[in-house]
Amino acid sequence: MQKKAIKNIAAIVLLLVVAYNSVYFKKLDEVKAAAVSKEFDAVTYASNYLTVKLTPQLSNAIELQELIQKVHAEPESTFQKYSHALGIGNIKYFLVKGEGVITAIGDDAVSLLLKNDSAQKEIKIATEFVFGNAVRDASGLININEFNNTMDFNNVSAEINKIIRSEVLPPFKSRVKKGDLVQFAGAIELNQAHVSLEEIEVVPVGLKIVKQ
Amino acid sequence: MIKEKKYFLLLIFSFGLLWGCKNKTTSEQPKKIAVIVSTLNNPWFVFLAEKASAQAKKLGYESKIFDSQNNTSLETDHFENAIASGFNAILFNPTDAEGSVANVMRAKAASVPVFCMDREVNTTDGATSQILSDSYSGCVALGKYFVEKMNKQGKYVELLGLVSDNNTWNRSKGFHSLVDHYPNLKMVAQQSADFDRNKAMEVLESILQANPDIDAVFCGNDAMAMGAYQALVAAGKADHVKVFGFDGAEDAVNAIKDGKIEATAMQFPQVMAETAARYADEYFKGKKDFPKKMPVAVELVTEKNVDDYIAYGKKEPDQQKK
Repeated sequence: MQKKAIKNIAAIVLLLVVAYNSVYFKKLDEVKAAAVSKEFDAVTYASNYLTVKLTPQLSNAIELQELIQKVHAEPESTFQKYSHALGIGNIKYFLVKGEGVITAIGDDAVSLLLKNDSAQKEIKIATEFVFGNAVRDASGLININEFNNTMDFNNVSAEINKIIRSEVLPPFKSRVKKGDLVQFAGAIELNQAHVSLEEIEVVPVGLKIVKQ
Repeated sequence: MIKEKKYFLLLIFSFGLLWGCKNKTTSEQPKKIAVIVSTLNNPWFVFLAEKASAQAKKLGYESKIFDSQNNTSLETDHFENAIASGFNAILFNPTDAEGSVANVMRAKAASVPVFCMDREVNTTDGATSQILSDSYSGCVALGKYFVEKMNKQGKYVELLGLVSDNNTWNRSKGFHSLVDHYPNLKMVAQQSADFDRNKAMEVLESILQANPDIDAVFCGNDAMAMGAYQALVAAGKADHVKVFGFDGAEDAVNAIKDGKIEATAMQFPQVMAETAARYADEYFKGKKDFPKKMPVAVELVTEKNVDDYIAYGKKEPDQQKK
């Protein structure tokens, strides 16, 4: 009889332990806050990428004039060494910098002659269509494995471009004139399978009017 | 003592036998890769499936194509058969982003890796990797070209694909992420035509009744773009209404050459198929860390560069115009 009572008590204790460890009580606002913190914050990510990761790297970017010469001379090795892309395919991006004189101011871009360019070839700096993945991908500093969802890395591009359109372009567009000497840093896109250097357009990250 | 020794020898013999069987399986029989594709009733998906299967064979594996006929139940049967028949990996083109999740999870439970091609499933846990066209970015590029060609103003119609397909919304969102910055570009109608040529023609004919003064039509795929073009021809408006598509289908590439449609975005099914097969090969060789979603770049095709392209991809160097 006593044995049976001990058995029952042990079973009840065991049941209580299992039940206690199976149920957890948490405050609803804490659970909601934890769920929100797991959502990807593209705005913060983009801002952090531009200021902390990308800006310090701009001084290490290849001179655009030098890149053009290298792509002409050794396209394969130049793409391998200097280009980046988050995905796979022919579209590749380069981080570039340079200096030149403004030759024309258009609705969508300014034209510029690179300094000391013997070929006297004009390139463009986008001032209207700052969209796409050029700035996100060109540095090679972002790893695709950081993202679980396609829309997360699409949103990173959208937020980076938004910052450029709202913070980099307005002060430049309001002051720049034909004949100004301008320093720029940014990203360009080239198609590796069909390289065309005729219409190079830089998506700017940094723009500075050196001399007016 | 002798009896114990006998048992010990029998045990060693059994282990040896098992080891031999295991070695025979791994060294003599090639692994098997199933290619399960949403439909073989569309040449684009036939091309995708055949390229995936061919690449799997090239890498030394047995391969078989299963046609789901756009039916998730049939797709489920294919998954069950593939798992039961001992396929070691599945290269998968899903029928439905939501409805195919259970099949992917079934394969995962059976430790069979799944590599999605072109279409995604709405889970990041199931598939080992999903190799997908970067539809969003492709439509950002299309959107930019659209704004330039429209000179930042005019009325337009958007024809959407299947509303249950993620690609439909990725394309639409990419396009609008740029075009919506221009308030003088007004979308007067947005309707689904299910990626279907005939339906697109009917839908646009109906829209034109209420909006005869449109300037452009943006379509979520090339089949709809061709259908829209037919409707515009019938209405006598083909000369001044601009049509934009997406896919890189043969008739769209030819229509760009003929000046009938303005642009398309070229997808690369061969790249997706071969990447999926290569990932399966790397998985068998021990790699386990794959990107959950791998975007494949999509390229803008216009009258300027159309000679560089053929259906489903880029011309080889010897095919290019001198």
